[in-house]
Amino acid sequence: MHEASIAQSIVQTVLQEADKQSAFYIESVEIEIGELTFLGIEQIEFWIKTGFQGTIAEKAEIVIKQVKGIIHCKACDYQGELNIQKDPAYHISIPTFSCPQCQRSKIEITQGREALIRRIKILKK
Amino acid sequence: MKIVKPGKNETFDIELEEDLLKQNRVLAEKNRIRFDQYHVHAIDVLGSIGSGKTTIIGQVVKELKGRYRIAAIAGDLTTTIDAARIQDKGAIVIQANTGKECHLDANLVLKALNELNLEDLDLVLIENVGNLICPGEFPLGAHQRMVVVSTTEGPYMIVKHPYILLESSVLVINKIDLAQAMEVDIHQLREDALNIKPDLKVVFANGRRGEGIQDLIEALNLSGE
Repeated sequence: MHEASIAQSIVQTVLQEADKQSAFYIESVEIEIGELTFLGIEQIEFWIKTGFQGTIAEKAEIVIKQVKGIIHCKACDYQGELNIQKDPAYHISIPTFSCPQCQRSKIEITQGREALIRRIKILKK
Repeated sequence: MKIVKPGKNETFDIELEEDLLKQNRVLAEKNRIRFDQYHVHAIDVLGSIGSGKTTIIGQVVKELKGRYRIAAIAGDLTTTIDAARIQDKGAIVIQANTGKECHLDANLVLKALNELNLEDLDLVLIENVGNLICPGEFPLGAHQRMVVVSTTEGPYMIVKHPYILLESSVLVINKIDLAQAMEVDIHQLREDALNIKPDLKVVFANGRRGEGIQDLIEALNLSGE
């Protein structure tokens, strides 16, 4: 539901930066969304496109990459992905928030919570 | 020396690396430092609309008001109904209206903290906006996060929203008196939750009657002082 507000911030940030760089056309925007965020990539893309309408980014290519979720276990020092149960009955993936190696829950997320504008490509005036 | 410059109409790559969720995390960290400075314990309370967050908070306040100096921050879109209900139980309440937003964020909590005298408090309960998805994205700086789900939301609440348990330490399964009528197996709900987060503390409660509130206080490590 909050994809709209995140997308709005993306649109604002991109247009501000393009203005600062005296761009007259934005060719592409590259975004990275972490797997462990609550953001749906399709919705983000839809709202960004909506936000870009009528601006110099209207025709920009929007590239959204999903970033893998990586954790670090403070108990056994495991570094890597979480165990994910794929349950066909629910059509969703259910992650287990404990260390795949030692099964303890002293984990911290080191990657996968980003909503990042990686780079934009512009044409200058 | 040869100088190479991009000509007119040439494409420029601009590395932005701007993380839009990071701003909130930085503010949340500030809130945490502020709580710690005044030795105030803060709990973020999440749950769907109608899961019983306000009732549970009200019962916790009623039970603990002799032992702790308590304030609550009540998140809501526009009304002050919940704030009044918690105030009636004996806590200082700050209303944080989000307008149209579906979650509280660290900035709104920071604003609410400016309205509180933290030196006169021991415990701050933050009631998030009724929603099991969006608030998960926005840490507020609280020390603990507790989730309230109720049997009236049906049997699949936990498996459908695994991510909300990510940073939660306590789960309240509320309205257990209605489980039978709803044909919901509360032990299955508990098992679903423990599959996702093995060290989660799960409490069964009937908020309206105050059942399970002692267990909850223990699960929150608030029975000590």
